[in-house]
Amino acid sequence: MLFLQQLLNGLANGMGYVLIAVGLTLVFGVLRIVNFAHGEFYMLGAYATYYAMALAGLSYLPALLLSTVLVAGLGVLANYFFFAPLQKEHEFTILLSSLGLALLLAHSAEAIFGADPKYLDTPFSDAILDWGNITVTQQRLLIMGVATLLILLVYAFIRYTRMGQMMQATAQHPEGAALTGINTRFVHGYTFALACALAALSGALVGPTTMLFPTVGDWAVLKGFIVVVMGGLGSVTGALLGGLILGVAEALGGSYISMGFKDAIGYAIIIAVLLWRPQGLFNAGAQR
Amino acid sequence: MSFFKPVQALVLGVLLLPLAMGNDYVLHMLTLWALYSLLALSLNIVVGFLGELSFGHAAFFGVGAYTSSLLVMQLHWPMWITPLAAAAMAALLGWLIGYVSLRIVGPQFAILTLGFGAIVLTITNYWVDVTRGPMGLSQIPAFSLPALGLDFSHAIHMYPLALLLLIVVLYGCHVLQHSRQGRAFIATRENRELAAAIGINVFRTKLIGFVVATALAGFTGALYAHYLRVITPDLMSLSYMSAMLIMVVIGGKGSLYGPVLGALLYTFLLEALRSSGAWRMVVFAALLIACVVFLPGGLVSLWRRRQGAIA
Repeated sequence: MLFLQQLLNGLANGMGYVLIAVGLTLVFGVLRIVNFAHGEFYMLGAYATYYAMALAGLSYLPALLLSTVLVAGLGVLANYFFFAPLQKEHEFTILLSSLGLALLLAHSAEAIFGADPKYLDTPFSDAILDWGNITVTQQRLLIMGVATLLILLVYAFIRYTRMGQMMQATAQHPEGAALTGINTRFVHGYTFALACALAALSGALVGPTTMLFPTVGDWAVLKGFIVVVMGGLGSVTGALLGGLILGVAEALGGSYISMGFKDAIGYAIIIAVLLWRPQGLFNAGAQR
Repeated sequence: MSFFKPVQALVLGVLLLPLAMGNDYVLHMLTLWALYSLLALSLNIVVGFLGELSFGHAAFFGVGAYTSSLLVMQLHWPMWITPLAAAAMAALLGWLIGYVSLRIVGPQFAILTLGFGAIVLTITNYWVDVTRGPMGLSQIPAFSLPALGLDFSHAIHMYPLALLLLIVVLYGCHVLQHSRQGRAFIATRENRELAAAIGINVFRTKLIGFVVATALAGFTGALYAHYLRVITPDLMSLSYMSAMLIMVVIGGKGSLYGPVLGALLYTFLLEALRSSGAWRMVVFAALLIACVVFLPGGLVSLWRRRQGAIA
């Protein structure tokens, strides 16, 4: 029974990781940016939801939608000012720029929101469902449900819509895509905003399961990296499998080995994966 | 290209002046600056010379600090040897981590070193029997060399020592930059394939650079621990890592004096902005971004631009 309970907890956490990682992997796939600031958009999503509820008096779900839209707008600005001008630069420069953006957002958040922890209270946090010996909060069910739906939507969007196909083309060959008349700058901005919206949404959904600190972005981006490295940079299905594996491995490792080293499991996984299969576990062939 | 020119002599003279005035506060800040400079110079070997972004460098700094402190406190080793043992320990770990991770380049290398650094931090945090975990170590003995009758417990003694070491390390970096090995570093950074084609063993070159950098970081960590006399696992955290990167990038990566200048700016501006609380790191983040976008050569490149304009 303990095993089933931990498995369920792991899957719920894992779906949260998947939501964080999908945006990260999209930005890498289309813009070729390893975005260290991705976690900060998660943090902003959680805080925006908190303040929309606390100050504007909105209820949880409208606050969640509002914060998603706000953070997506912020993403457009971030891309315009920090990444678009560096498009032709070496990856090293872009990496440093994203690190700078991460520091800027995290410390601004600390200065504005304060370093004391906040608690994002939702109507689903305390409601518990029981099946025999297995319990789960409605919040976790909400995470799993919304995440599953979003992954399907993102997958369908990339595959079947015109915009999604333009994203694919830009990812495969930016110059070639531009030659066929695709406005790659627009595609980049669009992808970045989409990624930020997904990060914000995951912040608003997963945020209520823990305390909120301005430094929570570090945690989020690290989990995102672990998942993305496991699944292969740029792969959406890889992110899905990677996130679930990480969630379950942490839950089982945490309960059967040691709670303290729970976070180290993820790092051990990325080290093993990067050394053994740098292209990710689920990518059959060499990538572009 | 000579290392010691009139300008350097002048700067050194100015740097020695506070010793005569004996203001404890200024001397303390200057000591911190010299130690941070050593640390920034060590990271500069990886970031500036090898051209790889390592996010695990703070871990080696911390390993050095813990190694030396524990050897002195638990095993009562003499202090002339413990900083060297710290350097050796960091170098050993650096060799191990470098050996497995230097085959991977670019963002993946950054993520990989981030992972290794985080594991070292986790171990330090949870190996409570030895490291006292998040409590950290306190009452670490100050650096002293009883055989020579020297005691470095105050900034007025520690500062000249740190400054001397800084000059030695700067000279070492200068020699390295202009040696065959140093040119191999630059060739590897600029073009891996071409470097390999002209007979440079790219992996070995990088490994040498990485081990030297980690040894220096460990050594600096030991001095830092014996100077501040309190350490916590925070030394290995991302906040120290970002501070180091800020120093190197703002000062000028890949240059000799850039990291030293970056450390100067970091130490004193941080202190000047102390009253503004959390906003001060916002200032540094903005400076970092501004440098990355507008001044990739860092502050030292302003000097070079000026000279270029005159000549």
